[in-house]
Amino acid sequence: MSSPALLRHSEDTMASAMADVPPAPAATQSTPPSFGTLALRWFRLNQGTLRATAIGIASLIAFLLVWHLLTTYRVVFFVRFTNVPSPLAVYASFTKAIHDPKFLMHILLSCRRILMGFSLAALIGVPLGLIMGRFKLIHEIVFPVAEVLRPIPAIAWVPMAIMLWPTNEQSIVYITFLGSFFPILVNTLHGMSLVDPVLVRAAQCLGARERSIFREVYFPASLPHIFTGLTVGMGVAWVSLIAAEMISGQYGIGYFTWEAYSLVQYADIALGMIAIGVLGLGSSLLIRGVGQLVMPWRVK
Amino acid sequence: MSEIQVSPPKGHIEVKNFSLSYDSIEGPVQAVTDTQIHVKPGEFVSIVGPSGCGKSTLLNAVAGFLKPTTGVVTVDGEPVNGPSAERGMVFQQYSLFPWKTVRENVEFGLKMRGMPRSQRERAARTLLGLAGLEAFEKHYPERLSGGMKQRVGIVRALATGPKVLLLDEPFGALDAQTRVIMQQILTNMWQRLKISVLFVTHDIDEAIFLSDRVYCMTARPGSIKAEIPIPLERPRQQSMMMSSEFLALRRGLMSLIREESLKAMGGEINDLGMQGLNIELHGHSLADVL
Repeated sequence: MSSPALLRHSEDTMASAMADVPPAPAATQSTPPSFGTLALRWFRLNQGTLRATAIGIASLIAFLLVWHLLTTYRVVFFVRFTNVPSPLAVYASFTKAIHDPKFLMHILLSCRRILMGFSLAALIGVPLGLIMGRFKLIHEIVFPVAEVLRPIPAIAWVPMAIMLWPTNEQSIVYITFLGSFFPILVNTLHGMSLVDPVLVRAAQCLGARERSIFREVYFPASLPHIFTGLTVGMGVAWVSLIAAEMISGQYGIGYFTWEAYSLVQYADIALGMIAIGVLGLGSSLLIRGVGQLVMPWRVK
Repeated sequence: MSEIQVSPPKGHIEVKNFSLSYDSIEGPVQAVTDTQIHVKPGEFVSIVGPSGCGKSTLLNAVAGFLKPTTGVVTVDGEPVNGPSAERGMVFQQYSLFPWKTVRENVEFGLKMRGMPRSQRERAARTLLGLAGLEAFEKHYPERLSGGMKQRVGIVRALATGPKVLLLDEPFGALDAQTRVIMQQILTNMWQRLKISVLFVTHDIDEAIFLSDRVYCMTARPGSIKAEIPIPLERPRQQSMMMSSEFLALRRGLMSLIREESLKAMGGEINDLGMQGLNIELHGHSLADVL
């Protein structure tokens, strides 16, 4: 039966069938509330969020204050704050640095390395994980190798990477890639293993073949875990990048931080650290944003 | 898809000499044995039986998910060879795709068939409208109630115009009131579509209320213990469930199933080595007490 036929066929059926079902409740009718009531209602609804934000801001201010006090009075209590730059000194070097093209170049280069290493890891890790999750033989071949290589920290690859790749730049990107590759692969695999078999069967009953099932069921069902992998992978990518830059780099924010130490520019050490933190936070927020775009059904 | 084919009634399910066994470390385990059932075109047939009797196994074989160890399953004379859109299925677990909206879920089968987007959107909208769900077309399933999810599930299974509809305890997870409404909805849809339905349930009232015929299965290994025609007139009303005719059917089916449940439980009791109960069971006195 073609479906228009079915439609015509079933017209009254369903209409009468659904007649028993109670209609959706009508919208409650009331006069538009005043601005004051609205504001109060908004406040009550968002009380939790507002509270968390307020406490968060206060906590950050307290942190800066403690930092300021510890460095101003050069406290020595097991930990030595003698040479630690004060927040104001860091701020001063920040205002100087944002006008310094060299500092911006360090940041841009690090971002480029992350972009290349992470993108490669995602472009290889996600499809590989999907294929491994679907085809047993490929899983059986690849998994043992992955399991042996996975526990090796990316930083332990530095000497090998320098031997493997002709340029420093390539070896740093390679290390960044390695750092993010395994979390992405493992989480994609995990997502594939958790796909509800009843959804696969439902798709088969609706006429879906292997390729459609892959595209319409396995892939979207694994997406939440893929994005977990991407978030974790992004974090490890930064860890690996900074380590690689400190050891073998000539540019990059990791190199900048290490160089500041060598040149006894203590304020720049903290500046480099904060820059790394902000970049790391920004990139994971970016991934979360993309995740919400790609998975609208997960948005609460 | 503009041509409308007028075809003779379809959806004749036949299961012949059917048995199905699983391999286990202790050798093959017989799940269903020596079973024959059939569903005539447009007939509503239920399978009831004690839990674990293999009624879902049988249904999954008709759907094409399981291959019979012996025997054949045919629909309109053609052997069932894996799942297909010709046999729509509704599962007990809500099986809507969480990443698709209600409308996209209903569209899925049509999309798989290669129907162009605008056409299938229109078709899905019409179907949802008829099912009273148009207000929810853009919702994701997570936001629907259980009854609504199953309603969408049924509409989705019917959207491709299957020959038969297979339902595996579809209302098992719903509360009593919703279940009654869903039964009414299903009956009405079936009566209008003239589609063959094979319905698995453990709820005797549900089976009698919905069906033309009810198969009662034995405890594992499952086989057909009895085939009971339900001569209640249609359309059926909720009030019929209090009629003497209904209650007589209910009593009959109840005692059939109780025997089987006791057999199944008796096995467990034997395994546990509860001697006293065991003796009583053999003397059928426990059955009388229950």
